[in-house]
Amino acid sequence: MNLLEIKGISKIYGNVKALQNVDLEVKRGEWLAVMGPSGSGKTTMMNIIGCMDKPTEGAVILDGKDISKESARSLTATRREKIGLIFQQFHLIHYLTAVENIMVAQYYHSMPDEDEALRALDRVGLLERAKHLPSQLSGGEQQRVCIARALINYPMLILADEPTGNLDEANEGIVMDLFRQLHEEGSTIVVVTHDPEVAEEAQRTVVLEHGRVARIAYNVIAPPIIL
Amino acid sequence: MFWRLIRGALFRQKGKMLMIAFTIALGASLATAMLNVMLDVGDKVNQELKTYGANIQVIPKEASLLGDLYGLGEDSGAAERYLRESELGSLKTIFWAFNIVDFAPYLNVRAQLLDESPDAAKTGGEEIRLVGAWFAKHLDLPTGESVDTGMRNMKSWWEVDGEWLTDADEDAAMAGSLLAERAGLAAGDRIRVGAQGGTRELTITGIFNAGSDEDERLYVPLKTAQAMAGRAGVVSSVEVSALTTPDNELSRRAAQNPKSLSTKEWETWYCTAYVSAICYQIEEALGDSVAKPIRQVAESEGAILEKTQLLMLLITILSLAGSALGISNLVTAGVMERSREIGLLKALGANNAPVSWLVLTEVLLTGAVGGAAGYFAGLGFAQIIGHTVFGSAISIKPMVIPLVGLLVLAVILAGSIPSIRLLLSLRPAEVLHGR
Repeated sequence: MNLLEIKGISKIYGNVKALQNVDLEVKRGEWLAVMGPSGSGKTTMMNIIGCMDKPTEGAVILDGKDISKESARSLTATRREKIGLIFQQFHLIHYLTAVENIMVAQYYHSMPDEDEALRALDRVGLLERAKHLPSQLSGGEQQRVCIARALINYPMLILADEPTGNLDEANEGIVMDLFRQLHEEGSTIVVVTHDPEVAEEAQRTVVLEHGRVARIAYNVIAPPIIL
Repeated sequence: MFWRLIRGALFRQKGKMLMIAFTIALGASLATAMLNVMLDVGDKVNQELKTYGANIQVIPKEASLLGDLYGLGEDSGAAERYLRESELGSLKTIFWAFNIVDFAPYLNVRAQLLDESPDAAKTGGEEIRLVGAWFAKHLDLPTGESVDTGMRNMKSWWEVDGEWLTDADEDAAMAGSLLAERAGLAAGDRIRVGAQGGTRELTITGIFNAGSDEDERLYVPLKTAQAMAGRAGVVSSVEVSALTTPDNELSRRAAQNPKSLSTKEWETWYCTAYVSAICYQIEEALGDSVAKPIRQVAESEGAILEKTQLLMLLITILSLAGSALGISNLVTAGVMERSREIGLLKALGANNAPVSWLVLTEVLLTGAVGGAAGYFAGLGFAQIIGHTVFGSAISIKPMVIPLVGLLVLAVILAGSIPSIRLLLSLRPAEVLHGR
């Protein structure tokens, strides 16, 4: 059963065709990697899947609903309810503590709950760093706060943009362990990455080139899809 | 969470918030100072202008009619009509008694400067204009109060070579500079002056220079003039110096015909210190009199007052506009600097309204602090202006507080418009991913 269906989407910025007639399906519980060189359309695809942009043509069906023609307000609501975003740059609010950064996502979703936010931090191994500001955390710790924030509202789809792009090897390992754990628990994950090692962790890798799907690879070592 | 976000933004961006507070404080202080001065300046400027003479003249009704019909002035002698000196105290008992700063009665007498004076060198037989007046008359009013009034306060710009007359100097006179020059008079000289009621020997106490046709006259105490004219207890005219409110459409209509006003309009007019309302009440107090504004003076006072207030209003508007521009730049720069944070909030699911409200609340709280500081600084500025320009304190008007509050709010909202527009246009995909 598909959580996400992309049907013939194109995105055109002026004379630039960022995406051209792309089709893609993501099953519930699937871990998908999107790879490709710079300018291949990865970020554009992530923005469209993440309800932060709309395609020029085509349809995007998320959880059975076509979101490609929705208003900005409706897209915001969809993003809030169904998607957890993980960023390469972490994007933590510098004047809020780790736990407060997680509570911000709760606040705009429903209601802040500090205990729940602390449990989310505990899950990523940062309970003792709850009251620390982002500037007092390492890159890996900041990314783990970002992951906890993405998970706090129980999203249907976790969308990660180069989640290990700014991390050293040790921290990359910790973050990938978290992704594996989430996948085992049934989360649907789409990871945009340059890193083949990260992509290999996914069940399937979609390679974009010049805004088109160039090829799709199935990774044999990945754990099975939970339906 | 909302207040945690606000607190975090305020305390962790102290520098920027202090700049915004300072900008608002600057605008609010100028607005407070100008509004306080503006609301108080009417009395202050009026008080200043009172040193330049009377703005109302009171003459007998019949003399006024002759003047209106035949153009005969009060000095023509054609109208042998007078006001009663005994009634003059009632000027300080009318509704606007406190607005009447000074008044002085005059009695014009046709007289001759005689040549039989002890000093043979003096010119004799010349017809002169002799005027009796109060100089610094002490009056006990029917209300039990007392007042000192007369020419001395009203003609404060006169340059006197010698001494001012006093009301008790019944055998003394002050000569105008032109008369003195023509007749060869100097302070200390004795002259003989003849009139209908007899001849009198007078000592010149001073020669004055008024810069007007008054320099042709010889001034004596009112009692002396009455004796010389043989008309005890009367005066030809009264000059009144009153604090007035600038004329408007209502007062102009009332000046033409008070009966044309509706009851409500009449009450408004009667209870406002328009020069026409004060004239009306003077006529009520003095029987058979006509009180007329000396238009040039009254209108000049009104014009000066209006222009002064307009100037202050413009300074207030400009200072607030400057503050709004400053706030606009600072808040817009703040939103640009925080575009990633704002984009993140939107990416996490915040709509435009809560994010806008977040930024607006930060600025409003900062503005409240700046506005309060500016208000108190403005009270200080107002006192500095009061003492420097008018030589007295400016009274603090409580109504300025809500006015400044509303103005600060308007300035903050107006100054925040560009930043809110920028904030609304921020798209998370652009600020977080560059596309």
